[in-house]
Amino acid sequence: MNVRDSSRGLSAQDLEPILAVTRNLAAPFELTTMLATVVSAATQVLHADRATVWLYDAAADQLVLRVATGIEPVRVPADAGLVGSCARNRQIINVPDCYADPRFNPDLDRRTNYRTRCMLTLPLVDHRDILVGVLQVLNKTDGVFDRDDEALASALAAQCAVALQRVRMTEALIEGEKMRQQLEMARVVQMSTLPSAMPAVPGYDVFGTFKPADLTGGDTFDLAVLEQGLLVVLGDATGHGIAPALHVTQMHAMLRMAFRLGADLETAFIQVNNQLADNLPDDRFITAFIGLLDTAAHRMRFHSGGQAPILYFDAASGACLRHNPTSFPLAAMPLSKMRPAVTLEMRQGDILVLLSDGIYEYHNADQEQFGEQRVTEIVRTNHGKSAAELSAILLKAVQEFAKGAPQEDDITVVLVKRKLAAETAHRAFRRKVESLQEIFDFTASFNTAHQVEPQLSHAVDFTIEELFTNMVRYSKMSDAAVDLTLTRIADGVEVTLTDHDVEPFDVTKSPDVDVNLPIGQREPGGLGLHLIRRMVDSIDYEYSKEDRQSRMTFRKTLTGKSADGEVH
Amino acid sequence: MLTIDFAPDGAVVIAGRLDAAQSPAAQSFLDKVSGAVKLDCSRLEYISSAGLGVLLKTQKRLMASAGKLRLVGVSRHLQDIFQYSGFDQIFEIEPAAE
Repeated sequence: MNVRDSSRGLSAQDLEPILAVTRNLAAPFELTTMLATVVSAATQVLHADRATVWLYDAAADQLVLRVATGIEPVRVPADAGLVGSCARNRQIINVPDCYADPRFNPDLDRRTNYRTRCMLTLPLVDHRDILVGVLQVLNKTDGVFDRDDEALASALAAQCAVALQRVRMTEALIEGEKMRQQLEMARVVQMSTLPSAMPAVPGYDVFGTFKPADLTGGDTFDLAVLEQGLLVVLGDATGHGIAPALHVTQMHAMLRMAFRLGADLETAFIQVNNQLADNLPDDRFITAFIGLLDTAAHRMRFHSGGQAPILYFDAASGACLRHNPTSFPLAAMPLSKMRPAVTLEMRQGDILVLLSDGIYEYHNADQEQFGEQRVTEIVRTNHGKSAAELSAILLKAVQEFAKGAPQEDDITVVLVKRKLAAETAHRAFRRKVESLQEIFDFTASFNTAHQVEPQLSHAVDFTIEELFTNMVRYSKMSDAAVDLTLTRIADGVEVTLTDHDVEPFDVTKSPDVDVNLPIGQREPGGLGLHLIRRMVDSIDYEYSKEDRQSRMTFRKTLTGKSADGEVH
Repeated sequence: MLTIDFAPDGAVVIAGRLDAAQSPAAQSFLDKVSGAVKLDCSRLEYISSAGLGVLLKTQKRLMASAGKLRLVGVSRHLQDIFQYSGFDQIFEIEPAAE
């Protein structure tokens, strides 16, 4: 450095402006004022024409010029030029003739139509030794900067660094708090559109619930009785922050409006999609299930824009079926026509299970996902419960699975269950012949409670006993209880026996017995199964390999024909 | 619940439910009877295939020594079962007075 030697030291007169400036530095608590204060202090104390404050952006490793009179913000890499060199070495650089120094970048001069003659460049380092930025003081009014100026500038820089850092941290805090408040407001808006009470739908048990994640998420759901039927919606917007919460809220409102204006399912889907495609940023979209249930015909028509899996518990087979989306997510791109909607015939006991990926993708501490399999098992085991109970069981299972791992995404459950016209009773019985008495007590109390026609009770008990003792006899390897479900149906009873952890054995396929043989050739084996086929209206066998479950369902009514076609 | 015992007239009275759980008790009782045996079924509420098996086994044993079981007081419901199973061809059945 080519600096005029001087050693007159800092006089009280020199220190005075620094002290005055230091008082000023205590006042501002927003950055723009603080930067202006620093600039004005530097020019004043050092008798300079201009000053520039570069703030260090640690995340980008850049120096950012926020304020210098009449100059637009500029970003430079934190190792470029004089400022970079100063930031890196954290040492003052005194350049008496800038255009003679190769490190000097004349771009700023050109842009601002200014000529920098001499310049002091000082690191702004706070009391914890953290780099806050770089201060440049330009063009001393009477000559070039000397050692005294360097000393003065260093003293000033130390004060400025601390003040700037204080303001930056305060601003970051305020910004964070603003963000938090905005997010909270967005969440309030998001949640305000959710149904506050479940609609009463004759013959149906519907339930929806929403558990927001702490920070971000964009789930929504809707369950509402409209002219077109029961509207069923589950939506999940992508992205983080406030936007997804507002995007799904938009979609929610648009759908309601479309249906209110009389749109059918396809029109609503297409129009809302196209409007959202216009509104949302290019990288954002919303996966959504949109269905309309005709509660008289028990027919649900739906479109799903990328929302999957769509699980459907089929009560007749006891299986959980899976449906795929019919379209891409809403807002991904405009649509002009669609594939046909999927139609679900909702029979008694059937359940539409819509869950957001906050459940399927919930990670536990071992980074394992909750997954579809667990959901399916829970639904199949608890399909007899009310929709609200099933939802609670699902959420509890997720919580237990998480083992304390935090909820990172919104969780939404929407269940639409067609009620059984009849009431149901269920109980598990130990797999031994001695359980028969308990079973008969159970059927007797069911028959009394539901006024089952007394003529039926023998055939029902007989059939249950045959099937149950068969399970006891042929599934010796299993000691799981046998589940018995009794359902009141019109003019009769439907009975399901579920045998767990067994090999398949279809009793309905067992051969008939020749009942006309002479006594010497008659054996008791097979007789029970032979008889029950003649006693009940229908008997069905079903085996689930996954669960190693045998399920037998028979119906017995006053008016029914027997399973082998005989009227009885 | 099942009870099985002799009546004063020598008939065997079976009452209650002859299901798979009760069959062994009924079997061990009937294993001891011999000759022509009247089985009073008027209070037999229920019979399963296991119970039919007990009767069949007893009938076979008795017939081997020229004896037999005669079922009396058989309810409508039990008659159906005997008919469906072809046991009406194996046992002499006397319906209960309706």
